[in-house]
Amino acid sequence: MPAPLQEGIYHAPGRRPGRHFALLFLRVVAPADAAAVAAALGDLWAMLQDLKAGRMRDLEGVALPADEDAMTVLLGFGRNAFELDGVAGERPRGLADEYLFRSADPAGGGPLLRGSGLRYAADVRANMATEAFCVQVIAESKVAVDRAVVETWKALTDHGPRVLELTTFYLGNQRNDRRSWIDFHDGLSNLRSEDRESVIAIGPGTDAAWAVGGTYLAFLRLSIDLAGWRRLTRADQELAVGRDKLSGCPIVAVDGGVPRTDPGCPVAGTQIFQSANDVAFAEPPEASDPAVRASHVQRANHHIRPASDSGSRRIFRQGYEFLEWAPEPPGFRAGLNFVSFQDTPARLLKMLTAGGWLGGANFGGDEEANTELASLLSVFAAGVYVVPPVVEGEPFPGAAALGVAAIRPPEPVLVTGSVPAASG
Amino acid sequence: MPYDAPGHADELSDELRERWNETIARAYAAQNDALKKRFFSLDPDVLRDPRPTDAIKWPGDPGKPAFCVGEENAQALSDWGLTGRRAVQLEYCEYMVLSGRDETGALRPKRVEITTEFREYWACIAMHDPDKVRAMAADVLGAEPSWEELYGVADPHALSAEAREIAFGHTVAGHGNDRRLRVAGVPAQPTGRLNMERALFMTHPINGIDDLIYVAIFGAHAYCVAERDQRRQASGDDVFSAFKVTHLACNHADPTISLGVYDLVYHGARVAFSNPLGMYIRRPNLEVFSLDGAPLPDDWVRFSRGREGSYQRLVFGPPDDHRAFLDDITLSLGASEQPLHGGYQLLRELEIGPLMQSADADPIEDDEWELLEPAPGTIACDDAESCKPVRELLTRYEAEHAGRKAPRTMPEPAP
Repeated sequence: MPAPLQEGIYHAPGRRPGRHFALLFLRVVAPADAAAVAAALGDLWAMLQDLKAGRMRDLEGVALPADEDAMTVLLGFGRNAFELDGVAGERPRGLADEYLFRSADPAGGGPLLRGSGLRYAADVRANMATEAFCVQVIAESKVAVDRAVVETWKALTDHGPRVLELTTFYLGNQRNDRRSWIDFHDGLSNLRSEDRESVIAIGPGTDAAWAVGGTYLAFLRLSIDLAGWRRLTRADQELAVGRDKLSGCPIVAVDGGVPRTDPGCPVAGTQIFQSANDVAFAEPPEASDPAVRASHVQRANHHIRPASDSGSRRIFRQGYEFLEWAPEPPGFRAGLNFVSFQDTPARLLKMLTAGGWLGGANFGGDEEANTELASLLSVFAAGVYVVPPVVEGEPFPGAAALGVAAIRPPEPVLVTGSVPAASG
Repeated sequence: MPYDAPGHADELSDELRERWNETIARAYAAQNDALKKRFFSLDPDVLRDPRPTDAIKWPGDPGKPAFCVGEENAQALSDWGLTGRRAVQLEYCEYMVLSGRDETGALRPKRVEITTEFREYWACIAMHDPDKVRAMAADVLGAEPSWEELYGVADPHALSAEAREIAFGHTVAGHGNDRRLRVAGVPAQPTGRLNMERALFMTHPINGIDDLIYVAIFGAHAYCVAERDQRRQASGDDVFSAFKVTHLACNHADPTISLGVYDLVYHGARVAFSNPLGMYIRRPNLEVFSLDGAPLPDDWVRFSRGREGSYQRLVFGPPDDHRAFLDDITLSLGASEQPLHGGYQLLRELEIGPLMQSADADPIEDDEWELLEPAPGTIACDDAESCKPVRELLTRYEAEHAGRKAPRTMPEPAP
């Protein structure tokens, strides 16, 4: 039985992620080795577990509203973690160069991947999401994720020798209308619940043994050119996304330039994101019209079975919108913290680069006719991390990879005669 | 039966077309009747308002070896010349790497020839129309082969059709698990150089239309699993475990075909192959390949044996009169830039699959549902028993390449 996934991956049926999100990036301060880093991570992890339980180090005896916050914490290891002196775990296969994103050009911009239409924003000269470790914090309250950022800084600062530093963090939140900044519903056609674990969890024999049962987190900080988006007609927007803008129903055909949905969608008296629509309409049906097939939702999912085969290119997504000040018009930057979990980053990278999929496309739709679509999304940060499984007795997930032995709980003491003898 | 030449690659006379359709029909007839349900039709014309599906396709690289010995070793085995082709290229896609000597005399890979053409089709044409098969071979190979190279005899016209099939099987096609050919002494794999040094068409018996039809009709059932008094769609683990065919779960092609068909059936459809029945290569994103930072010249990527959307052949790499070699091509994957050494890397960028279609079917009746037990667990594709042949092959490979810097070097042609 593989070790279980860490928390913070809301794949179980009916589970919804908390509304607020932070992704923190931790850099190793030279010349720290694996043992020193493990000690610092152990301390940090213990602090975060306390925080989840409502305890804050600087407020001894004070109880935070832990139930209300419903905070989860997940730890990821980046490629740099496996360059540390004394590291014990083999670098997982998914952190090889071919599964990582390209760096931004030193002068700014540049392709995220060859073969992809996604590019770094022109003013991005360094990708800040490529540190040795990342910590994902999800909670129901904004203050809980903000607090985790500040408490992380405190813990790293207070931890004797300076071993890890918080280099950057990204915040986001989920909209309560289930829509993204382009006003369309988002996250509807995520994986069927029965497929999720087979897509997410690293299987036996496919990767480094210590990583089996874990997963890979891929992160993209994507800003959206809302001015360009709003220049498109509703029909062009719908054909770019592959859904009706108001109802969220999948576009199934184009009739005289007008996108059409299934007349039965959504189920009467429901909204598209409600479970009554899950089987019939949440996942767009396969389309034959080339204009529909060019849409984002069709490019991202070719309906290949089984989802467990990486050739299906299915991934499990958890996205969080963001909004931040920006110096250029319109004076803010709106976008998406794209987070996906998968057993190999190959699923996502191939989806983004393969012909007929999102290869060559920025977002999808007719990018030649609607040039706004070809630069709709810009990348501000991108990273791939292995998320080690939870192993009983480890002070933090993945500790063994840094050379820390798990402390096994004591074996239960059997009282003589309490175990029935085997019959037959 | 309505099937044209695969990919519409060849103009067939009425008679040849009929023979080809008989070949397909025989492959279907040979399947166990218990597998044949109304949810699959061999005749696509009976489907009302059919909808094409593009969901039944898979990466061309061999899946099973990667489970058993990891990707790097899988690449080495797959690129191991004829040995690799015959042992692990089992995803309805076979290739050979053609090599040449560079200015220093070093042997280097020059081009990859990839084929997804069924041996049954070529054998059918060879049986009934030697001139046509020679013309097809000439078109593919770039030079007209001799009759001896195709049939092992000077004049195949003098042979009966059956004798031609046997002769062609010996020399170019192998027996394809056809009982008649096996009885006649045709080996599993051909012995002539045309389809050993080159990839003329697929020869591994497992890459045949009988296997394709089997996995398709195996999936065309109303399987379900009862859970909490409700009927749910069976998973791949459920289906393959229930019928004790867990080996089908451990490559790319079989589960994609079976479960792709099953997914359509479960949702109320009837399924058929589209005309023409064939195995087709989807166009890859060529932007990931470059030569000195520039796009590849057009004539380095040659699709053929079909039309746009239904190509069955890809020749990838510089022509003979160009000084460059295959490994001068850069493949950009993620943050890596790697030279293209062989076919495995290329196959990972390709998708392969038949063209299929579906149409609404009459509702599944209660007595048509086939209730399966839920799988006891996830099928382990790296288990010792099923991986034994791959691991033994790797042992042979390592012994043969001991002392070399495998697997990055150019594999020597195997005996």
